[in-house]
Amino acid sequence: MRPERIEQLIHFYRDMLRIRYFEEKILNHMLPNRLFRGSSHLCIGQEAVSVGAVHAMEEEDYLFTTHRNHGHTLARGMDLEGAFAEIMGRTTGVCRGRGGSMHLADASLGILGANPVVGSNIPMATGAALALKMQGRKGIVVCFFGEGAMNTGACHEAFNMAALWDLPVVFVCENNKYAISVAEDISMSDHELQDRAVGYGMESYRLDGMNVLEVYDFCSATFGRTRRTSRPALLVFDTYRFVGHHTSDSERYRPKDEAIEVFREKDPIHFVEREFLEDCHVDPEQAVDIRIDIKQEVESAFERALEAPWPDPATLTQGLWAESEVTCGD
Amino acid sequence: MTDRGREVVFAQAIRTALREEMQRDESVILWGQDIGVYGGVYGATTGLQREFGEDRVRDAPISEMAIAGVAVGAALLGMRPVVEIMYADFLMHAADAIANQAAKWRFMSGGQFKVPAVFRSPAGGGSGYAAQHSQNIESWFCHIPGLKVVCPCMPRDARGLLKSAIRDDNPVVFLEHKSHYTYRGPMPKEEELLPLGKADVKREGTDVTLVSWSRNLLWALEAADKLREEGVSIEVIDPMTLFPLDLDTILESLAKTGRLVVSHEAHAFCGVGAEIIAQVVEGHMDLLKAAPKRVSAVACPLPYSEPLEKAALPDADDIAAAVRQVVR
Repeated sequence: MRPERIEQLIHFYRDMLRIRYFEEKILNHMLPNRLFRGSSHLCIGQEAVSVGAVHAMEEEDYLFTTHRNHGHTLARGMDLEGAFAEIMGRTTGVCRGRGGSMHLADASLGILGANPVVGSNIPMATGAALALKMQGRKGIVVCFFGEGAMNTGACHEAFNMAALWDLPVVFVCENNKYAISVAEDISMSDHELQDRAVGYGMESYRLDGMNVLEVYDFCSATFGRTRRTSRPALLVFDTYRFVGHHTSDSERYRPKDEAIEVFREKDPIHFVEREFLEDCHVDPEQAVDIRIDIKQEVESAFERALEAPWPDPATLTQGLWAESEVTCGD
Repeated sequence: MTDRGREVVFAQAIRTALREEMQRDESVILWGQDIGVYGGVYGATTGLQREFGEDRVRDAPISEMAIAGVAVGAALLGMRPVVEIMYADFLMHAADAIANQAAKWRFMSGGQFKVPAVFRSPAGGGSGYAAQHSQNIESWFCHIPGLKVVCPCMPRDARGLLKSAIRDDNPVVFLEHKSHYTYRGPMPKEEELLPLGKADVKREGTDVTLVSWSRNLLWALEAADKLREEGVSIEVIDPMTLFPLDLDTILESLAKTGRLVVSHEAHAFCGVGAEIIAQVVEGHMDLLKAAPKRVSAVACPLPYSEPLEKAALPDADDIAAAVRQVVR
């Protein structure tokens, strides 16, 4: 492996660890200590798709994600402290405590928002791509969603429009095998989800979502093609969620050992350690140092966020209305 | 005194607003079903595709969810989409994009984004389109914080308000009455913008304040004419924008009249009339000399047959009868 490729791999490894440690903090510390409200949807096991795909994006690109957004947002560079603070409902959160875990957004990074209404981000991403095209801008839009979204009407309506109007949007489906509790067998008439794009004349591929380098390479090629041709594409990545749908999921719907077995075989972070770092003769000490370094980065961001102030209730309705000459009554 | 201008039909007032805003601002774009060559089922976009091209005036597939969702996404990146949903009843398909996404995207992000999208749609009955093409669902959208809701009646107002709605940085639901596109009224030649959230006193009077909007305002004005012959002086107010509501204009009128009747084509239960009366009673009971009244449709899906539809919808006689009760 070329030195720059090794460097890239280490960069990806760091990003995947950052997401993993961030979410482990939520699961193992914030959950038992009740440091967040509602629920939080973790992507533990899916980090290779987030990191590989997001790193294939350019600065001028835009991203839409879902309730399961920590991977995409952190890979795109969202501030760890701001993300923790948002999940804790603090005023320093990226959305000033208005959104929480399901709604992480950062306009300055081109993260146009996370949509937990399954499928609804797909038309929005299509619309953002329409804007880019009409404005003659060079970016593309990358839209992440789970396989459950592919059963929504919104998805099919938007696929048709994106293909019909040649819009620069890439739809990235993370097939983690369960839409909450409902497995593919119960909900999909056909498991070859990428074939659904064929009906719209849209390029599509099904790929392994556990190998970060493959994800990156394939996304780079696809995003580049969409950038050049302004044609949409669908990428379906096979991945797996090692934890519950959200932080209070009973996980009754899958055999007890299933997640443990898949984790042992397919954990995308172990995969990097096992398949690449050793082969590339990366000093195991260096990998340990990386892990310690990232862990500290996450811990210290968490500690700072924990100290952050709560929003002032007097600011409750701030941000509801865009400035306008008209005053809006209650 | 400004030039009253020439008489135009309601559809032309809408078209004028769209055309003027599209000429002024390249980011104003239209899409919807049959709005291109066909000009929209009520002719509101006739000729616009020829003038502005197929990119800016785009025929959309029958996909209301995506028509509205694409508008939200495009608005996030600085476009000003004005979409037409063929019938207000079909706004229910589009409701997720409007109520869950457009209305909340700015707030949920802590004020990071703007969604300057307009959702135009023909609402209302009176033309025999039966239960699924005739509803008045303005109160649904008024109940969603983050949306502005406009229901104009007069062509001049429709043009001035639509222009303001397009320039507004918040999502606006703009409901036009489907039986009203050929209604004629004066419209000034020169450009005119009317602020959202400002009511208009359509007729001054001293005995009763009568609030009404959209096509139903015509029946309110007709009732006011009838009652003048009976010696009752009615002040007719068109709020024009239902959210934000201009309560002040209504209160100023009530300070004179002390009597309130609200009439709308939607049925009464949870309608906007209930909200107006609640706001008056809650904070300004001292202004009232009599209990307020509502005049509205019967709570029933609108029927097809003409005598049945007439029985369901309010008319000038119903409004006049309610006014007589409050002045008794």
